Amino acid sequence: MAQTKKTVASAKSKGKPVISPAMLPMAAITEVQAADGVYLQRNDVMFTAMKHTQGEFSDFFRALRDEGKVFGHRCVECQHLIIPPFMRRCPACNFVEMKKEYVKDTGIMAATPVITVFAPSRYKGQEPFGTGRVFLETADGKLSDTAMLVRVRTTRGTIRPGIYKRGTPVKLAFCDSRQGEMLDLFAVPQSELTKKQLRKSPLLESEIEWGRISEMELGKPSAQLRKTLQEVVVHFQKLAEMIPHSPRATANLANWRRTVAVRTGGGTFSFAVGQGKLRVQNVVVKNPDLVVAIQDPSILLTWLHDSTEPVGEGVKSPALTDLVIEGTLVLNKPELETITRLDRVPRSLRRDNVVKLPSVKVSEGTPVLAV
Amino acid sequence: MRDVAIVGAGMTPCRSRWVEKTFWELAQMAVSEAVHDAGIHIQEVEAGVAGIYNDIFEFQAIPESGFQGIIGLQNKPLMRVTNGGATGAYAMLAARNMVASGQHDLVLVLGVEKALDCYDFEAESNTPAVVQTIGYSWDPWFERPLGAHASESYAEVIQAYMDEHPGDLAPMARAKIVELLCQQAQNNPYAQRLGEKVTADQVLHSRYVVYPVRVLETCVYTEGACALIFASSEMAQKIKERKGREPIWLTGVGAANEPYFVGNDITRYKVLHRIYSDHVATKKALKMAGITIEDVGVIELHDAFIPQLMITLAEMGVVPFGKANDLVEEGIIFPGGRLLVNPSGGLVFGGHFVGGSNMMSTWSAMREMRGRGIEHGLIHGTGASLSMYGVAIVLERRA
Repeated sequence: MAQTKKTVASAKSKGKPVISPAMLPMAAITEVQAADGVYLQRNDVMFTAMKHTQGEFSDFFRALRDEGKVFGHRCVECQHLIIPPFMRRCPACNFVEMKKEYVKDTGIMAATPVITVFAPSRYKGQEPFGTGRVFLETADGKLSDTAMLVRVRTTRGTIRPGIYKRGTPVKLAFCDSRQGEMLDLFAVPQSELTKKQLRKSPLLESEIEWGRISEMELGKPSAQLRKTLQEVVVHFQKLAEMIPHSPRATANLANWRRTVAVRTGGGTFSFAVGQGKLRVQNVVVKNPDLVVAIQDPSILLTWLHDSTEPVGEGVKSPALTDLVIEGTLVLNKPELETITRLDRVPRSLRRDNVVKLPSVKVSEGTPVLAV
Repeated sequence: MRDVAIVGAGMTPCRSRWVEKTFWELAQMAVSEAVHDAGIHIQEVEAGVAGIYNDIFEFQAIPESGFQGIIGLQNKPLMRVTNGGATGAYAMLAARNMVASGQHDLVLVLGVEKALDCYDFEAESNTPAVVQTIGYSWDPWFERPLGAHASESYAEVIQAYMDEHPGDLAPMARAKIVELLCQQAQNNPYAQRLGEKVTADQVLHSRYVVYPVRVLETCVYTEGACALIFASSEMAQKIKERKGREPIWLTGVGAANEPYFVGNDITRYKVLHRIYSDHVATKKALKMAGITIEDVGVIELHDAFIPQLMITLAEMGVVPFGKANDLVEEGIIFPGGRLLVNPSGGLVFGGHFVGGSNMMSTWSAMREMRGRGIEHGLIHGTGASLSMYGVAIVLERRA
């Protein structure tokens, strides 16, 4: 197995139980109230533990793990080359045997990748993550005939729209510590890599410089932007003072500890989350856990105004999470939880009547489905 | 092949969760309604097809086994169909073929699903567990380990279509369709979101589930059941004499499933910006019925996501590719337009109990055809990864 050269933030979770212990419920029968009476419900699970064979795909995953290389299968008759090598015989040629063929680690996006905000249970904590399909270059200078689904990442903060589009040239990079699975690799835009990095194969995660949002050009703070930032700090302080009065908002921030530096076009401030509270600091903290960058602080001010004032249905700001997903608010690493926790606070303040409002009807149905 | 008619239909109300009912009871409620609607005795039914998408939702492998003796088909054949989101439509296809082939004269088709018993004890919420359960539909080697799931997968198709046709599937057009479906659902007594009012503005401000899709553009999870009774023409005639009501005829069926893997050749791989299965299935069904898409007055379309509804209507030939905004801007599917789409509120507002949603669509289309004097209706089902399954069924009202 490839050795870890350097500790880096990884999208992969290792050494954890397959199922989080918190997802194993206590055996119990509880009551649930319905319109016409009380019904019983029983805590239960439907897990089946697996030693799930990788079968004929073992060679492919071994090549990812041991060599940091991708191979596909080429049909000797029609010459189609498929990645990943999901079948050994070509049905278009009446099941003629296909041949193993290594492909390059460079290619293009088949389409603009999508960004998952609301993940299934087993992927919680990885959001937001981008997934997209890559056509990889072949030895004969062409592209593979199928495109492989991969995670897509950026060196410049959280994944967001505008980093990738259809046809974006990408390079596959490999995690330093690999197990032989699809999460061993991911795509990075070629435009974010140096010539040396582009030449390196396999390119390892530790050989890439991550979290480069310090390079985000915020410009020289104008007097107006500086003034807006001061208002942001004042309103943030107001929000912080409201939270201890709301059990729900306190619960939203419970069991979470982070220091966060907020860089804006009007200057920088910091806040800390800890012990269910929010503390605002009008200084720059060293080595924050998270850096958040936003050009226009008035966008934060709108969110704070909507969160702390009785605006009723006149909410103007999108959720902070949406600002991250749209790329208005840029995080230095793919860790959304601080933001999603903050997003829950305004509703909690209203529900606990700390921000006094007529109740707002939320019209959202339960997401999502389609199978 | 023989002509096949639908002679009865029964629905349960759609709810996000029925704590009051198990799926056995939901199934019995729908079947009971259907046989009474048809004016028959269950003992006259010769065979059945049960559409159930997911064993995990039902918390039982072979969940249909419990129906034997509950839905009155003891010692008769009952076949389960499971085909992803298109389970309901595929179950109807199987039941229709049982009658058309001459094997049976009277067949019950039932679709039922639970969902919200799934619960994430860590998040203390149902939804992540439901999303995860559906996520088990992706292959366990290449795609599921990356976190592939339903909305991510459909969003890939939607995004690829927008790459191909920039400016189409405009946010405001999508939001207006949501608003329309919400209004239409208020006329569906079984709709899950009865009494709700969602505006285009709310849609545009709702949160993202998977960029570029927002939560108010997605269908809901539903628990419920729907049953239909299919009859041969001879049997349909007898029932008509008994009941005094014209049946609705199934005159065209088509189905196609695209390949799982994405590639550059539509004859061999999934081409990401297309829902080619919808195109092929619709073409086959219309050809079999001897009509064109212009002859169709009502479409009950499987709207897993609103932008997908728009792509599917382009695949069906209602609008050209790249012109799906015209559905709104030209008023094609709005009051006064030439086509009624999802008068039930669709799966977004009516509900999506996966095994039977397409049967709810059929119930609704039949109601509209009778109520508004529409001659032809089209039922659509889609499902699986990247919307790769497609079924189309043409209904005909013979005055």
